[in-house]
Amino acid sequence: MPIATTATIAESRVIEPPQVDLSSCDLEPIRVPGSIQPHGRLLVLEPESLALVAWSENWPDAHLNAMPALLGARRMPVLLPGGSPVSLGTVEVGGELFDASAHRSERHLIVEFEAALPPAGNEAPIYTLGRVFLPQLQEADTLVRLAALAAREMKRLTGFGRCLVYRFDEAGHGEVLAEEIEPGYDSYIGHHFPASDIPQQARALYLVNHFRLIADANYQPVRLRAADAALTASDIDLSQAQLRSVSPIHLEYMRNMGTLASMSVSIVIDGRLWGLISCHDHAPRFLDTGTRLACEHLGQLLSLQIQSKETNGEVAERLELRQLTLQIVSHLAESDATLQHLVSEASLMLRVMRATGAAVVLDDEVWSVGDVPERAQVQDLASWIAGLGVEVYDSDALAAHFAPAEAFAGTAAGVLAISISQVHRHLILWFRPEIVRTVRWAGDPHKPMSAHGGRMHPRLSFTSWVEHIRGRSLPWSAAEAGAASELRQALIGVVLRRAEELAAVATELGRANKELEAFSYTVSHDLRAPMRHIAGYVDLVAQTEGRQLSERAHRYLGHVKDAAAFAGQMVDALLDFSRMGRAALKQRPVDTASLVDGLVRELTRLEPQRAIEWQIDAALPTLYADPLLLQVAVRNLLANAVKYSRTRHPARIAVRAVHDALGDGLEVQDNGVGFQMKYADKLFGVFQRLHQAEEFEGTGIGLANVKRIVERHGGTVRAVGEVDAGACFGFILPRWDPEQAAAAAPAANGEGHA
Amino acid sequence: MLKPILLVEDDKRDLELTLIALERSQLANEVVVLRDGAQALEYLHRQGEYSERDEGNPAVILLDLKLPKVTGLEVLQEVRGDAALRSIPVVMLTSSQEESDVLRSYELGVNAYVVKPVAFDRFVSAIAELGVFWAVLNEPPPGSLKAARKHE
Repeated sequence: MPIATTATIAESRVIEPPQVDLSSCDLEPIRVPGSIQPHGRLLVLEPESLALVAWSENWPDAHLNAMPALLGARRMPVLLPGGSPVSLGTVEVGGELFDASAHRSERHLIVEFEAALPPAGNEAPIYTLGRVFLPQLQEADTLVRLAALAAREMKRLTGFGRCLVYRFDEAGHGEVLAEEIEPGYDSYIGHHFPASDIPQQARALYLVNHFRLIADANYQPVRLRAADAALTASDIDLSQAQLRSVSPIHLEYMRNMGTLASMSVSIVIDGRLWGLISCHDHAPRFLDTGTRLACEHLGQLLSLQIQSKETNGEVAERLELRQLTLQIVSHLAESDATLQHLVSEASLMLRVMRATGAAVVLDDEVWSVGDVPERAQVQDLASWIAGLGVEVYDSDALAAHFAPAEAFAGTAAGVLAISISQVHRHLILWFRPEIVRTVRWAGDPHKPMSAHGGRMHPRLSFTSWVEHIRGRSLPWSAAEAGAASELRQALIGVVLRRAEELAAVATELGRANKELEAFSYTVSHDLRAPMRHIAGYVDLVAQTEGRQLSERAHRYLGHVKDAAAFAGQMVDALLDFSRMGRAALKQRPVDTASLVDGLVRELTRLEPQRAIEWQIDAALPTLYADPLLLQVAVRNLLANAVKYSRTRHPARIAVRAVHDALGDGLEVQDNGVGFQMKYADKLFGVFQRLHQAEEFEGTGIGLANVKRIVERHGGTVRAVGEVDAGACFGFILPRWDPEQAAAAAPAANGEGHA
Repeated sequence: MLKPILLVEDDKRDLELTLIALERSQLANEVVVLRDGAQALEYLHRQGEYSERDEGNPAVILLDLKLPKVTGLEVLQEVRGDAALRSIPVVMLTSSQEESDVLRSYELGVNAYVVKPVAFDRFVSAIAELGVFWAVLNEPPPGSLKAARKHE
């Protein structure tokens, strides 16, 4: 460490100022300027030995020589590197009184001296702050009110012509919340200062050193001298020095603003530079140590108060949001837990995120509530957000990130979205409309800096400049984004639980199906046996004892036998029906023309005595179906037409091709007894009959079979009829899609298309 | 002496009706009636109660599918797995046409499968046809007694 002695002072030299790249403010080395402001003196000492390392040029040599001894004789407070300056009290140097303060940098002990003013006693600023300002603070109910109080108090303490309290937004622009001005000062209330006015490293310094005073913008910096010729400006960290000389660009900025004195106190919340109390004066202004302490204290009080206000506000907001979130989740939990039900809770859904529209997207489906963009636009947006791979997305200026959003800024300039599934495109989106915001800038923020000959100059104008900001919605608060994230977790929980329940139901269904199979086996085996026994023994009685029985007894036995036989048929029909539902579908193209032709011949052979006029379309379609099941279905329709038209002479039965958007099919029309349309739905039920058994025989299961077969192919059945005017039954199967057929092929050994 | 027809049937009414049907088909074969699968296996293996019976396999086994103790399918499986019994024709009689039963029976090598018709006349003719086909008309191994009877 270089140690300066009396001898070396004479040999000392001025420290070279740092190499400044003035083409960019952000690169200026403001912490190590190598000079101070002229309203005080500064010593840089070796921390242990108190040997002189460097000193401001404005020390008379004689005083300087005495300083190490003078300081060594005082009791020095314990200082930690990086801490704020601590007062050493009043020090007499060469007959003059100085207020001295000391702080530690990483390498040095730095002691600053400013001319001492007579002590203010009970009227010391720090006391009046406590007496006047504190009680008012507690009564301030809003942030703006709080800021106004702070501006007034600051003005009172410092006497500066203008005191502003401003807050930085996320982009770093400052918004003036409150001001206190004297006549002759421009008002900046409600104005915005662009982020570029305060370069990054200055912001960083504001976090470290909460107080800064520039007493006179026209000052001439006082250079530092060092005993060691090798010492450069960058070796001396003046971050915490009150007298630190500031950037020449900033001094120019001040002069452009018409300000000769400026002072600022940082408002720091949670380690973040929340805002500044900034004071200006047209004339140079010095502040004594006591006032300065009071200013710093005011800044701390304000920071604490704002922090508690914001925390309280945020806690209240989060609480309310949590309640709404819980309501949503509980509503959902009561439903089948599919998220589209959210839109049925319209007001809740919109209120929770203070949105004007919301949508639930699941793959290609969109369910919406309130004002939302077009369906296709919502889908595109959802795809884009899903592609980002984030759990929660929010933007109050969507179009800036997703250009197509410009088309619907009126309904959705801002969006908050949560993504539910990684596998499916499953999102919930909330929308906010565009709010055109008017911002008054203190000068045009779009040209804050001008470069002349490679050197930056701060902007010249601070005249109000009004900007209309478009394409933005109200911003989504951190609490809202947090609530969205919580809601997402809860919904995923509900959805997962639902999936588990469904899996359990599926297992249960599988078990029930197995039981049903066992049951149908029992029915087929055990119920058929007694029918067979009844029929068998009745026959035996009739055959062996026939001669002794009366004609009436024979008739009774005939009924018993028929009933048993009919019950047997019913059991068989029921078993067939159950088989239709379980048998694997083996689909392939089936030529219905030859199918119908074969069935018509079969039916004609069964009832050769009937005279039926068949009218069969020349062009019957080729259907993609299981040939055996399709034959069962078509046989049922044809047989029904034959059966119910037997009272007609001649009976006419037409078989036609039908086509619609969904697919192709057949319809069978007869001129038979028909039916009442109000029973059309019942026709396709199991064992539903519209005729008495004596009129038309049958088990009542034929059309149920048709319906089951058609529906297993993904088709639909239909029936049209009128009493005594005939009936028309038809079905449509989905059209054969070669691609789909190819895709389904590997599964053909199982349930295939079922 | 004709080989007997082995009828395995647990239901007493079905048994009576089947016997009447066999009687009406006028087969000369003796009918051995067993009431469950376990008995059937003892008979076939000449074990337990049947250890004293004469040697020789039945002409045909008419086997009810659903039997107490050892089911028809199990009996069939054992018959097909035993070299001495393997060549006996087995006809499965059942009340149902449950697909899984039919499939399993054929897998196990049943010779015929008959769903007992509800109508008695059809039941009689079905049993008669079976008896005649398997007990009499079925081609017997060369040199057996039935080969001569066939031309009577």
